[in-house]
Amino acid sequence: MSIAKTKGYQQVLEWLKKDGKKPFKFQEEAWSFYAKGYSGLVNAPTGFGKTFSLFLAVVIEGINLAEVKDKKRAKDRLQLIWITPLRSLAKDIARAMREVLAELELDWHVGVRNGDTTQAEKLQQKKSMPEILLITPESLHLLLAQKNSSTLFESLKCIVADEWHELLGSKRGVLVELAISRIKGLQKNAKTQHLRVWGISATIGNIEEALDVIEPDVNAKRTIIKAKLNKKIVIKSILPDDIETLPWAGHLGLKLAYKLLPIIEKSKTTLIFINTRGQSEMWYQHLLNIEPELAGRIAIHHGSIDFELRNWIEDALHTGLLKAVIATSSLDLGVDFKPVDTVVQVGSPKGVARFLQRAGRSGHSPGETSKIYFLPTHALELVEAAAIKEAAKENNIESREPVIMVFDTLIQYLVTLAIGDGFDDKTVYEEVKNTHAFKMLLPEEWNWVMQFITSGGDSLTAYQEFKKVAKDEEDGLWKVKSRQIAMRHRLHIGTIVSDAMLKVKFLSGGYIGMIEEYFVSKLKAGDSFTLAGRILDFVHIKDMTVIVRKSKQKKAMSPSWLGGRLPLSSNLGSVLRKKYNEVLDKTHQEEELDVVYPLFLVQQERSHVPRNDELLIEMINNKEGFHLFAYPFEGRLVHEILAALVAYRLSKLVPITFSLAMNDYGFELLSDIEIPMDDAIAYEVFSPENLTEDISLSINSTEMARRKFRDIACISGLVFQGYPGKYVANKHLQSSAGLFFNVFNDFDKHNLLLRQAYDEVFYQQLEEPRLAAALHRIQQSTIVITYPKRFTPLSFPIKVDSLRANMSSEQLENRIERMKVEVFK
Amino acid sequence: MTITIRNEELILAKERAIYLPKEQLLAISDLHLGKAAHFRKAGLQVPSTLAQNDLNRLSDLLNEYQPKTLLINGDMFHHEVNTDIDDFEHWKEQYPTLKFVLVKGNHDKLDQKQYQKLGIEIQDPSYCTENFCFIHDAVKCTEENLYPISGHIHPGISVYGKAKQSLKFPCFYFGNDYAVMPAFSAFTGLSLVKPKATEQVYAITPTKVIKV
Repeated sequence: MSIAKTKGYQQVLEWLKKDGKKPFKFQEEAWSFYAKGYSGLVNAPTGFGKTFSLFLAVVIEGINLAEVKDKKRAKDRLQLIWITPLRSLAKDIARAMREVLAELELDWHVGVRNGDTTQAEKLQQKKSMPEILLITPESLHLLLAQKNSSTLFESLKCIVADEWHELLGSKRGVLVELAISRIKGLQKNAKTQHLRVWGISATIGNIEEALDVIEPDVNAKRTIIKAKLNKKIVIKSILPDDIETLPWAGHLGLKLAYKLLPIIEKSKTTLIFINTRGQSEMWYQHLLNIEPELAGRIAIHHGSIDFELRNWIEDALHTGLLKAVIATSSLDLGVDFKPVDTVVQVGSPKGVARFLQRAGRSGHSPGETSKIYFLPTHALELVEAAAIKEAAKENNIESREPVIMVFDTLIQYLVTLAIGDGFDDKTVYEEVKNTHAFKMLLPEEWNWVMQFITSGGDSLTAYQEFKKVAKDEEDGLWKVKSRQIAMRHRLHIGTIVSDAMLKVKFLSGGYIGMIEEYFVSKLKAGDSFTLAGRILDFVHIKDMTVIVRKSKQKKAMSPSWLGGRLPLSSNLGSVLRKKYNEVLDKTHQEEELDVVYPLFLVQQERSHVPRNDELLIEMINNKEGFHLFAYPFEGRLVHEILAALVAYRLSKLVPITFSLAMNDYGFELLSDIEIPMDDAIAYEVFSPENLTEDISLSINSTEMARRKFRDIACISGLVFQGYPGKYVANKHLQSSAGLFFNVFNDFDKHNLLLRQAYDEVFYQQLEEPRLAAALHRIQQSTIVITYPKRFTPLSFPIKVDSLRANMSSEQLENRIERMKVEVFK
Repeated sequence: MTITIRNEELILAKERAIYLPKEQLLAISDLHLGKAAHFRKAGLQVPSTLAQNDLNRLSDLLNEYQPKTLLINGDMFHHEVNTDIDDFEHWKEQYPTLKFVLVKGNHDKLDQKQYQKLGIEIQDPSYCTENFCFIHDAVKCTEENLYPISGHIHPGISVYGKAKQSLKFPCFYFGNDYAVMPAFSAFTGLSLVKPKATEQVYAITPTKVIKV
């Protein structure tokens, strides 16, 4: 029977008609394919009802089935699992869904389950699941970690991964893949296979691959539905009156803030996107300082702000109460705030896809135009603005590379199953092997992972007395017996994305938000800092809670949240190189490039402006030491490896020690002795020959793998620092990822987690083909070496960067001789 | 490296120990035996070879200096009796004539009988020689005429050079008021010390001890 004739379909059409609407073509397509048993991917811009394309598909089927089926048992209720990457999305989608269900008179419940859900609500859900469950990937794993959870999914019809492009490129995407594989397996076991899996994705470069990840079974019925709707976007840069106004480096951009005021004034509601949480706090303070009138009409929204406050802001956005909201990526995704008609991006968004998505937050209805302003934080960002405009015009949108072979995530998942109902290793091996992330998993690697969680490690290394996962003799399933281990693991599942965070509370009570432990550790009593737009005095830490009081200070430091830096995408990198040519040749159209032209003259006068077919190297000596700057314009990630590679190759020529820094344009090697460099050496150190081997060696001699291992140790459960406010870590079990890295390096070289750390540097960070391509390009280019007397507009931003790595080919003892201890005087 | 404090010679060994030739005494601190096994019991994968490696290093020291007394300046055992400690008992049989002295630290919470069984003499809160007072936590020292040598904090030192270079090492700290020994166990982190201009710090590299 064609879907159009069913009762459910007719009912939905009638409801839409009542509002004077009719379905978009892609929505009808999705309903129809879903009814025919397809899995797939819906690709549509935000603001065109992509939620309804799948939600209504399930509802239509629900109405049709209600006809033939009588009262269901309570535990059979769960019909649809809707996975959202952000907590803030769930509330909004739930509200929209509930409204529709009421209109359609379908007696379904919509439940939300994530870090903000109360314990009482979770208990209620355990007794009786709602028909529709909105959940984050972490909470879905927590659900699998519950006893008797394996019976919950018997009548589940559909899993939807919303904003799939956002999850795809991260380990959270792997969490989704694994959870789906288990639920499929459970249905197969219960012989109730009616599950369809769908993703909803914005446009990305590798949309076919995105489908392969969410539904890896090539024999399943699969399809991609594309909405052929064009969203109009207007992009405008906020230009300084004079290029001198803009600093050469920095990422705050407060100098142009006054130019925002008229934009905020004439718009209904403005969303101001700032790349990091710390900077968003500073912007909030600054806007209030320059325009006190805004008090009470602007708010700040980021992931570390109290749930209640975030709720209030989101409600106020809906009702149009607020004039402007300063946001980080916490408001990036599909929330539908109707009154928002203007978006401002402060600082480079570093990627075309992200920029377009943020633009899409405004004019969030079909037919409306999205308006986005770009506010540069330093002079060279104007070139990036021009590059983004061009890339957006040509729809040159990045791919999201799916994450594969992450043993830390697999280990976490298996322990999760073991604290739930337990698992059969043969069954789960097959399930895991059928996911996209682990399709290359070898039997010996699986055996290693099983040994790691059952006996501590492989047979080559002894792990006496190790206890974690053990076989239950009664049913033959692998389980965790210790309640303490189970509790620690449950608290741990959410830590995939966050560092150790502490709650912040007033002395007099009242919760403000969360703050990174790292930042707090540097505070002394009486120091003041800003959070959620308030200035606070630090009092003390008690029971994992930071106690503060209101400050009388006017200014304070802003907390630094780690992970605020985004790397430039390769798409943007190549457009950027082209733009550099255009500025100098004056062949460009963009007004941004006119403004930045004087800066290029300074660069040209002090050194040289690199053309498309050139690689510029600047050698600068000053009292800090000997600097080498090189500008391949390949983005931070590639430069990180390239810097290590060049440093390694130079260090083979003479014993030398480097400190490395990089940004999206280039990198710096800094040494206390003269760096050997001429044309011949330059071509040699940038040679693509022996690349793989030299990279491995250079990665081994820097701290990159060690840094990657921090996340890995945390996800795989090796380190646990306690959970904010809920649990004080056992003092006898405190350790650090760095310590584990050393221990495995010295005592258990075969450890797969160690290998993963090196692999992650090698494959994910490095994008070896991209690096090889860059080196081939450089070999074909002219290498220009200049010896500027002063820092240049290009070198200055790298020089002031504080994130540094080290590389040395010198004897440790010789180095210490020249160094000194920092002494308190 | 040999240094002189209060006119007495001290040898600082890169294996993280101090030898007092006058007393024929070898001092180490923060051995944390059983820490790795304690982690394993709680489901954290730490190799057993770690603890054996610590004991092997201690054997090397005992062979080199042939002391009469081995002084452990606190935190000998991490938490409870486990397989790491069984291994220690077995290892100890090689040294029937050596006197084992433990200055009690905050982690040393085993039953009195267990120390007896292992043949370890307990000193609480300190063990004093002619010039020095060995104590786990220096602030608790009441011996006004002696120079306290402590452990407890697992000291480390950062050195800085030109061109934004920096390095971090475990260290011996000889301050104006007291000294701190490095943690002997390899499975420990570092807590950085900030010496005053008049104080001495000796960094431990893989090959030697260097004054910094």
